[in-house]
Amino acid sequence: MKFNHNNRKRYLASVTDRYVKGQMDRRTFLRSAGKLGLGAGVLGLSATMPFGGRGGFINSAQALEIQPDADMMAWLKDAAKPFAGQTIKLATESTPPSNAINSALKPFFEEATGIKVEIEVLPLEQVLQKLTLDVASGLGTYDLYYIDQSWMASFSGDVIDPREKYEANSDLAMPNYNMDDFLPALVDGISMYDGIMVGVPYDIPIFITMYRKDIYDELGLKVPTTMEEYMANAVAIQEAKAPEIYGTTGQMKSGHYSLECDWTCWLWAHGGSIFGPDGKFTGNDDAGMAAMEYWIKLKENMPEGVTTWTWDGQGQSVLQGIAGQALSWGEFFPWWDGPDDSKVSGLMEAAVPPAPAAPLRTTDQTGYGEIPGVGHQGGSSLAVSKYSKHQDAAWLFAQWATSFDTQVYITALGGGTGPTRESVYDDPRIKANAKPGIPGTTRHLDVVRETIASHMGSEPDLPEWAELSNDTIPVELGRFWAGEYDSPKAAMDSIAKKVDGILKG
Amino acid sequence: MLSPGQRMLRALVAWMVVGIFFFPIYYWFTIAFRIDKEIFEIPPLLLDFTFSWQSFEEVFGITIGAKGGLEVVPGGGNYYMVPRLVDSIIVAVGSTALAVTVATLASYALSRMRIPGQHHFVFWILSTRMMPPVAVAIPMFFIYKNFGLLDSHLGIIIVHALMNLPLAVLLLKSFFDDIPQEIDEAALIDGASRFLIFRKIVMPMAIGGIAATAVLCFIFSWTEFLFVLTLTQTSLKTVPVVSTTFVTSTGTAWGKMAALGVTAMIPAFIFILLVQKNLVRGLTLGSLKQ
Repeated sequence: MKFNHNNRKRYLASVTDRYVKGQMDRRTFLRSAGKLGLGAGVLGLSATMPFGGRGGFINSAQALEIQPDADMMAWLKDAAKPFAGQTIKLATESTPPSNAINSALKPFFEEATGIKVEIEVLPLEQVLQKLTLDVASGLGTYDLYYIDQSWMASFSGDVIDPREKYEANSDLAMPNYNMDDFLPALVDGISMYDGIMVGVPYDIPIFITMYRKDIYDELGLKVPTTMEEYMANAVAIQEAKAPEIYGTTGQMKSGHYSLECDWTCWLWAHGGSIFGPDGKFTGNDDAGMAAMEYWIKLKENMPEGVTTWTWDGQGQSVLQGIAGQALSWGEFFPWWDGPDDSKVSGLMEAAVPPAPAAPLRTTDQTGYGEIPGVGHQGGSSLAVSKYSKHQDAAWLFAQWATSFDTQVYITALGGGTGPTRESVYDDPRIKANAKPGIPGTTRHLDVVRETIASHMGSEPDLPEWAELSNDTIPVELGRFWAGEYDSPKAAMDSIAKKVDGILKG
Repeated sequence: MLSPGQRMLRALVAWMVVGIFFFPIYYWFTIAFRIDKEIFEIPPLLLDFTFSWQSFEEVFGITIGAKGGLEVVPGGGNYYMVPRLVDSIIVAVGSTALAVTVATLASYALSRMRIPGQHHFVFWILSTRMMPPVAVAIPMFFIYKNFGLLDSHLGIIIVHALMNLPLAVLLLKSFFDDIPQEIDEAALIDGASRFLIFRKIVMPMAIGGIAATAVLCFIFSWTEFLFVLTLTQTSLKTVPVVSTTFVTSTGTAWGKMAALGVTAMIPAFIFILLVQKNLVRGLTLGSLKQ
């Protein structure tokens, strides 16, 4: 039998299932597993996990080699004794870390602690709806919150500060958890609001440059280091390849948060900011208009459908081979590199975002803690609800889910998503996956790391930001792209009026 | 009398209408059976695609054809949907049974008995359908939390039955109204009780209407989204809500979503087949005044 990727999955699933059900003896199982070149580690796993590998873009071949840190699991077993039998609930977006935990890693935590973990996976906007209802009621129907960076201020009063929790209860403080290992820029960007640590950094999608190396080579293009070069490359690809392959792509669906993400990237890249130091909207100033002009020109080199696409459509457009480059979420990269789904497997390369066209504004020149940077980040943190009736159990889970060991497996299983811990980037298991054209490649992670350190842009933190970024701004931008405004200036002035009106209350 | 040409034209138009309705379903079917790489192929592959069970294997946790047989592999993972299909069936069947039972009794009473302000009462029933569901979804969340109905099959069965009751009552009342009262009166003279008349005489005559009502209730429950989204968490989910699981931060798993969607048509299709004989009669009952 020839073992291609799918056959391998099927065969492993079949033999593992039979072994777990007692329909196959140990010797036969080992011999069967040996056909796939798997070692004895398989056996330890098969006895403890209900074959993962389903859900999200999970690298199931890797899932069979999980061996959690024995010391950590022993500590968890001991610390969780008072909480065995409790059930904790988390509502989360379907992201690589959540999928890896839900599909493959969760059973290890449950078995060690006796704590049952129920994870509700929903699209981002529905997670926001669920959390809003939960905190409004104060009922604690969820024990853990998945908090997108754009909601951080909104939920800052509804969570337990993990630093305080860690300090306050040494019995529940995971040894070697090492809070300082989290990338400092991320802690500021996705976890801190007004001196409160809202949650533990959980994942970090961030804008990086990704391009088709085969097309770049064919057309003699260089990796763009400036916004002008990025535009020039898009135009060159468009002229040479459209309509089969467009110059670039976008996530510009009216009323969706993704549209706001694209806008902020271009805005920051042209020296603009969403807010000024006086707290007023500044997207309609000269820098804001320069960004709009750039965006309008860039859109001429995108497929027609971009105004109906969120990140899903954008990702698909590159996956299907109809876009030559994108400045977008780095977590797309392993998906595009995967051999099963992608038409561009092994053809993509990653680079840090181009330098801005005008100097970035400093935090003194912006409002509400906004940090301009071309590498727009969309990270999230994992927080313990202050309304939870199982706070201690939830805290144990939060530590386990964001520990070094778990993050290594998340990164390997979750398709090379960006880890939030410095040390994970250097782990040999992660480095070993840095190969082109394989499922769950990590070969883009050095770029992600550098982008986090030197190019990251973070949205402002204010309680109204969830509404502004998920509704007000993308709705009006959508109206602009639908042709409802006479000019970009009219659209931006309208947004300014609406945003400032909401902030005035 | 139509000429052969006219008959041909009529058949052609009929087939075109059928095609317009059938094409999206066919296209959805093909998505479910395509490999991921071919889903967005341009021009779309309508016939000449690589046939694959891959999506069904993930959604149902089974391996099809690996060794020429059907091998069950352990479930788990975000895309394993068998429990969610079971949830959908429990909720749809339960809420339909509850709504139709209550509505049949209520509509018979409204059809045959007179109460003060009856007209206003019927209008009030109708008016509850005018309220947008989102207006009650959040208050229901609090009520359900207090009563322990949150995230339970019973809770969703009740809310779907409540949602369908006004429509079911009004629909069934019209069916009962079409059955001559003289039949009831003759039975009363013969000494039959009201309930006996309802059970033995009127209900069998209205069975077509009841079937039609049941089909509508089933379909509304099967496709309802908002209440299930608001009132459930992890214990259960119905197909429309759980379909959103396929929407991830790194793309939508269209093949799996189509596999679930195709499968989700089957229970509703079977239910309609079961009541089809009565359904046709029910949908035409009362169309002619005698």
